[in-house]
Amino acid sequence: MANPTENPAMETPSPATPSSSYSSPYTPKPENPAPQSPSPSPALASTARLWRPTAQRNLRNQWPKLASYRQQWASSSSTARSHATSLVNSYLSLKYMPSMELGVLSDMPNIRKKACQKLFKQQELHRSGLLSSYKDMVSVVTHMVQTSRSMRCFVKGATNNPLVQSSGCSEDKNDPGDGGGIPVFAFWSISCFEKLAEELVQMFILELNLKRLVVVELLSISCDVPTVNSLDWSDELYPGEFGELSICNLYGEETCKPIYPRLDDQKFEMPAARCNQQPDHDVLQVYLTTWIAEVNIDAHRYITGVISTGMISRGLSYCSLGMLKVTVLLGISLSGDPKLG
Amino acid sequence: MGMEAMVKRYQQRFRKVKDEMDSWALLQSRLISQFRNASSIIQRLQVLQDSKNYGRLKDVVGIEEALLAKQMESLQNIFLSMKKTMEEFHAIVLSLGKIHRDGRQMVKGGASGQLSVKQLQQRIGVKPSLADCLDGLMLLQDMHCSEYVTLWYLLKSSLVSALSELTLKPSDSDLGALQQLLVDQPNIPKEEVQFIFDIIFAEEIC
Repeated sequence: MANPTENPAMETPSPATPSSSYSSPYTPKPENPAPQSPSPSPALASTARLWRPTAQRNLRNQWPKLASYRQQWASSSSTARSHATSLVNSYLSLKYMPSMELGVLSDMPNIRKKACQKLFKQQELHRSGLLSSYKDMVSVVTHMVQTSRSMRCFVKGATNNPLVQSSGCSEDKNDPGDGGGIPVFAFWSISCFEKLAEELVQMFILELNLKRLVVVELLSISCDVPTVNSLDWSDELYPGEFGELSICNLYGEETCKPIYPRLDDQKFEMPAARCNQQPDHDVLQVYLTTWIAEVNIDAHRYITGVISTGMISRGLSYCSLGMLKVTVLLGISLSGDPKLG
Repeated sequence: MGMEAMVKRYQQRFRKVKDEMDSWALLQSRLISQFRNASSIIQRLQVLQDSKNYGRLKDVVGIEEALLAKQMESLQNIFLSMKKTMEEFHAIVLSLGKIHRDGRQMVKGGASGQLSVKQLQQRIGVKPSLADCLDGLMLLQDMHCSEYVTLWYLLKSSLVSALSELTLKPSDSDLGALQQLLVDQPNIPKEEVQFIFDIIFAEEIC
């Protein structure tokens, strides 16, 4: 978090000061590339010179965070996947144990019982492993959401002696924190970056929601009759889960239930009532495939989304779009203005 | 050039061949793992195509199409990397061909002029004859070339047809048999390869 007092030069705006080395060759005149942003006030126009370096520094801090959260997501998701696979395998072994051909081993006393006990213990172990990796994933996504909401920089203090702060909330209702929509890096205004971050984070939110369904189902599998582990979608999987889900807009405050998963381009449909039938081998395979496939995280659709919103105009070539995709998805941090084709 | 010096130069070529074959082995294990990934996706596709296998996920509208599309995309990517692996196999085949051609050039247009059959077959001690060297280079190049051609044929016909016939009949056993072929490399018999190297480097074994 950039602290404005660390840089005394920030506190005294002087019109004679040459613009920062970071700034793009375009003059920060009150130009508005994002049509949805309100027109900048004269006060903001006068502090634009002051605002931009702080905004750039803030963006350079925030974007790499998104990239590193993405890596954390990948690693938690992969840990969860291996727990899920082992959980499924020990469940299937337990299920088939009574009919399993044991050969010479069948002479050993209580061999089946001992094997079942061992498998049961393994199942418990992987169940808690899966739950704790899921918990990590929820926490990563809440961090992503918070980061995507920390792109703006607000002007604080008096008009004649303003301070720019890269986080928190606005003191002035007329200050949206986007520098009046002026470009921060090259042609990109704050709202462009925000929109990108939001789209990126939205993919992870949807994926988290879908994975929650798989987690609920996998934690519910059990050989016991009646099933002791049976969980419902509306159960809180660990203390504090609903609070975190509501940061991600995944908790319905009116229904007091987590929002049921849907895909990005699809309508929501009310789930049918839960049946207590245990999933068979094929269903479990589909669950695990769903976990691996990450259907909601799609770079191509992501880029199409960017193009279709029409937020990129004025000569951003496809080449630079490709670069942007790499920047955002592969976690290469922004350093200075992107070189545009 | 003396016979002994020529044999030495051939032995150097065989060492190059050995290096190429080591890279070949790496590529082979890469291809096998790519193939394994591809066939596990292909086998999974059948399960994914049946909506009654979706359990609770069937309440998520569009999940079946999305999941299938994602798996096809992964399969596409695996096919692309297999194609790249095949290109690297091809580069090795070309390199072995060049080593063989250069070897033939050595006896044909060498400073010593045209060599007689007798000279070609002449053996000094445990050292290989020039004919042994030439035959060895040719055989090794032939084997790898045939294996490469077979691989292309197998992958193209079997894998792609396994995919297109997926809806008609299960092809798990076909894919399993193909994977065994990739491991076995029938065109490159191990004993024969060893035999060639044993002759060429007989002095190092003794």
